[in-house]
Amino acid sequence: MKVKGFLKDVSGASRVTKRRLAAFSSASPVPVTADPIGDVAREWHPGKIDLVVTQKRPASKTSVTLRFERPDGKKLPPFYAGQYIVLDFPIGDSLISRPYSISSAPFEARLDDHPFVEITVRRSKGDGFICDHINDNVKPGDTFRGQMGLGQFYYEPLRDAKHVVALAGGVGITPFASMAKEVAHGTLDMDLTILFGSVSSDDIALKEELEQLKSDRLRIVHVLSGDEPDWPGERGFLSAELIRKYAEGDCTFFICGPQVMYRFLHGELDKMGIPARRIRFEVFGQAKDITQFAGYPEGMADKTFELTVVRGIHEDRIPARATESIVVALERAGIRIETGCRSGECGFCRSKLLSGNVFICPENDGRRAADKDFGYIHACAAYPLSDCRVRIPIE
Amino acid sequence: MKFYKDHYDVIVIGGGLSGLSSALMLADKGKDVLVLERHNLPGGLATSFVRGGVEIEATLHEMMSIGDPGKRLKIGQFLEDMGVNVDWLDVPEAYHLSVPGIEKTMHPGFERFAKEADEVCPGTYRKVLDLLNLCHTVYDSVNELSIHPMSKPAMLMKHEAFVKTAGYSAQEVIDTFGLPQKAVDLLAPYWIYVGAPLSILPFTIWAVLMADYVGYGSKVPKKLSHEMSLKMQERAEEMGVQVELKQPVEKILVKDGKAYGVRTKRGDEIHADYVISAAYPNKVYTSMIEPADAVPEKAIKMVNGRKIGLTAFTVFLLLDKSAEELGITDYNVFLGETMDTDKIFENYKGTGPYNYLTTICLNHANPTCTPEGTCIISITALPRIEGWQQVSADEIDRVKHETSKSMVDAMSRYYGVDLLAHALEVVIETPMTVAHYTGMWNGCIYGYLHSMDDHIVARLQTAEEEHFIDHLEFAGAHQISGNGMGPAVTNGRKAAKNVLDTMAKEAN
Repeated sequence: MKVKGFLKDVSGASRVTKRRLAAFSSASPVPVTADPIGDVAREWHPGKIDLVVTQKRPASKTSVTLRFERPDGKKLPPFYAGQYIVLDFPIGDSLISRPYSISSAPFEARLDDHPFVEITVRRSKGDGFICDHINDNVKPGDTFRGQMGLGQFYYEPLRDAKHVVALAGGVGITPFASMAKEVAHGTLDMDLTILFGSVSSDDIALKEELEQLKSDRLRIVHVLSGDEPDWPGERGFLSAELIRKYAEGDCTFFICGPQVMYRFLHGELDKMGIPARRIRFEVFGQAKDITQFAGYPEGMADKTFELTVVRGIHEDRIPARATESIVVALERAGIRIETGCRSGECGFCRSKLLSGNVFICPENDGRRAADKDFGYIHACAAYPLSDCRVRIPIE
Repeated sequence: MKFYKDHYDVIVIGGGLSGLSSALMLADKGKDVLVLERHNLPGGLATSFVRGGVEIEATLHEMMSIGDPGKRLKIGQFLEDMGVNVDWLDVPEAYHLSVPGIEKTMHPGFERFAKEADEVCPGTYRKVLDLLNLCHTVYDSVNELSIHPMSKPAMLMKHEAFVKTAGYSAQEVIDTFGLPQKAVDLLAPYWIYVGAPLSILPFTIWAVLMADYVGYGSKVPKKLSHEMSLKMQERAEEMGVQVELKQPVEKILVKDGKAYGVRTKRGDEIHADYVISAAYPNKVYTSMIEPADAVPEKAIKMVNGRKIGLTAFTVFLLLDKSAEELGITDYNVFLGETMDTDKIFENYKGTGPYNYLTTICLNHANPTCTPEGTCIISITALPRIEGWQQVSADEIDRVKHETSKSMVDAMSRYYGVDLLAHALEVVIETPMTVAHYTGMWNGCIYGYLHSMDDHIVARLQTAEEEHFIDHLEFAGAHQISGNGMGPAVTNGRKAAKNVLDTMAKEAN
């Protein structure tokens, strides 16, 4: 065979080798560390960062807004309005994490002067002791570790309609507060109608802040479910009938609120014939009472099992209540596990069940197909049904 | 608390396909191996993500070198030998090419492919077949020589075609066949899977690519590439390998010119006789070796003398109708404004709009990969890093949306369907996304650019002298066989082989 001639053909290998060596010998001996693409990735997702509380103010009768800045005053990571932040709370020997929708706007995280990020947290009745801890104990000057810019609950211009109808229940207003501020600032190009369900008129989270933002691109409609004869506005729940009144034309519905509202709205939006691609639910949240879910076995509720926790070559044995997720058992025992959404979606707490049985919260099963085959679980959505052996990442 | 043993035979940095292949091969030989992966999933790029309740393939287009049961090709055989049993599905076609003047679906099998080329360019059947057969001869030689090296005269006797084409680019060899440009265009699309235009791409690489993909077709794992990655991890663990996720490595510890361990970001110092790094040599030599002065100047000159390959930009669209309902008929469409690979390569310097798109509709190989009545497409360009290096954290969102919009619009026009009007989910994967999840240097997925200045034959010839730190090997797209999931496995095996050879040598 012949390409260009025998001698040239047979000397190809040595020719290309010479070329390679020549390229190296003429190269610079100065180390180049520039990785600007990696730098942008790290600016958006630096992992956990230090945050200091610089302000605490009431957001309603039963909720507070906390403002955080970086101790060095630098800009916070960019994020999308609607995303959440995970904060670590050292409580006793444990490190407990909680996700909170960010209630400040993305542009505020990138200000030149005192960039900040805010969360708004409602005192809750019994189940969320961290919420009470924030309301009662956290004060300016306190420092935290947090990771922000998480979650998929944000406006995607290529997918969503230009008109977004937000269906908010109670403190579920927070992601929409972020969107509203960004719309008002002119850096989020959409029309936003917020249908905001609250129980009583004297306890509406972020009411004054939101009122100031109203414009022809931003409508806020308060809907009261409580019994108040003098209330001039909309009443009842966020029903199909009420939604129809405000959702003209092609809209995308964003829904954030308590779990009971999710169930109700699935039905209402279905009734209205809204196509699936126009409906975005925020994650479900940790199950309030796992025993109430379809498929949860009888007679487990008051049991406690032994959980063997494997990290590398190290093992611990800890108790695990049937009604609490494996993440909660780990946190109670002071064993670190990173969590994000605590709704089975993000997979931060992905772990492997080596033996034993667990119940997976059906609303929160965000696992990959192959993961299911090999016993992987998202520990925040897995509840022990026997003694278990679980391998978790080393933190 | 002690999470690690006092000592391992080998520490592998990176639990991607390459690192896991190293680990499998070393464990198979009874070595005590620790794999440290920065992400919370194995596989590196061979992974998936869940959006809107649907698991979506993150990167894999088509896996080469698998082969059918009973007649496995190189990668398929290795995985089987290691006890990694992946549920492979056939990709039904080679590709559909849509460029000015050509609209044609091509299928694997040399004769069928040549016949289809002949339908577009009558009278080219014989020449196309001859060219493909030449590719196969070179492919066979590469496979044999990678296992049994031989002397130059012997090589010339037994592997004449390989030797005689080694000094030429794909373009130079193709030119000798005197094919009309249209026929060359029909043969060119796969260039993107190695990421160098035909004018600088070594014929050797192009030959392997064509022989493998066109000769045997390709496959995908039923449960996406995460199935392959996870099965490799699970099997490695069964064989005694310790795999730790979420453990980025910051330093490779070196003493007296020899690697002896690593330090993780968490602060664990772990010792081993050998270290295999899937992190780019650029990153290793400029910031990971401790002490830094253990890096010879030659190593820096080497990484500076090489050109970085391509990165990736993909738009994923989960659509609310089936592929049939939407008229999406092909598995793989190459849509180009041109088939001139130099022009495309030039266009890929920027951040878009891109003039050459690769679109996969996985449902055509894997019908149940999305819920009934839906389908998934991914639209990809594989740009060079230069353009994206200029984009700041505050600009990336705008730029990625502009680029995505242009790509989706182009495919909407091609299919005659407003894709966005059917989008259940839109996910945009940028070079920054790659950097974020894999930590790869500048988001690069293709290692070093294949070129006549960085030729695979030359890489093999100079491998010995590019070994700058004892007991430190590299695995990944940046190694001899280059980019792609198949070559990643080969590179991982090679790193393991180097370790085993050195162990044997030092034991004597």
